[in-house]
Amino acid sequence: MRIGQVIGKATMNRQDAAFRAARWLVVNPVEGVHCNSACDTPPPVSKLPSLIVYDQLGAGLHDIVGFVEGAEATAPFDQPTPVDAITVAIFDQIHHRPHEG
Amino acid sequence: MLLCRVVGNAVATCAHPSLRGSSLKLCQREEADGSATSEPPFVAIDHFNAGLHQRVFVSTDGIAARGIVDDEHSPVRNFIQGILDD
Repeated sequence: MRIGQVIGKATMNRQDAAFRAARWLVVNPVEGVHCNSACDTPPPVSKLPSLIVYDQLGAGLHDIVGFVEGAEATAPFDQPTPVDAITVAIFDQIHHRPHEG
Repeated sequence: MLLCRVVGNAVATCAHPSLRGSSLKLCQREEADGSATSEPPFVAIDHFNAGLHQRVFVSTDGIAARGIVDDEHSPVRNFIQGILDD
């Protein structure tokens, strides 16, 4: 799963029937240098492309979330659901110690 | 399978139920020469207790990951598959 910051939410008036009552977040991937402090202070929005992510956890603005992309994003659903990215975890702490050399 | 180095860990109390009991490790992809790639680290579940800065193989097979956490509705995908000795 990748690490991202919730920078907004998306609402849709017309959408697939499978998405009734769904929550959608705008998630911006967090760069490695900001991982350590990301849970305490919102990191700057990175240049990495942001995604619309399905949310079942109730993540809020500036929460640091783990999200999964691809076929695995549909696994939690009983019915076939056209979802390509889903939140899997809301992080409380991230410890990042890059390897040197 | 991705060649990675463990560069940290992550803690999440609010997560998909299938992650309960799994430790979450930050993994940085590496080039063949051991240098880190430019992409940000990602999170993989770890049932091998890999240590900080150990080199590991990470699988991206969602079917195998669902077997590991024993939950067919789990969205997990990345898991540490082995720790490199050398």
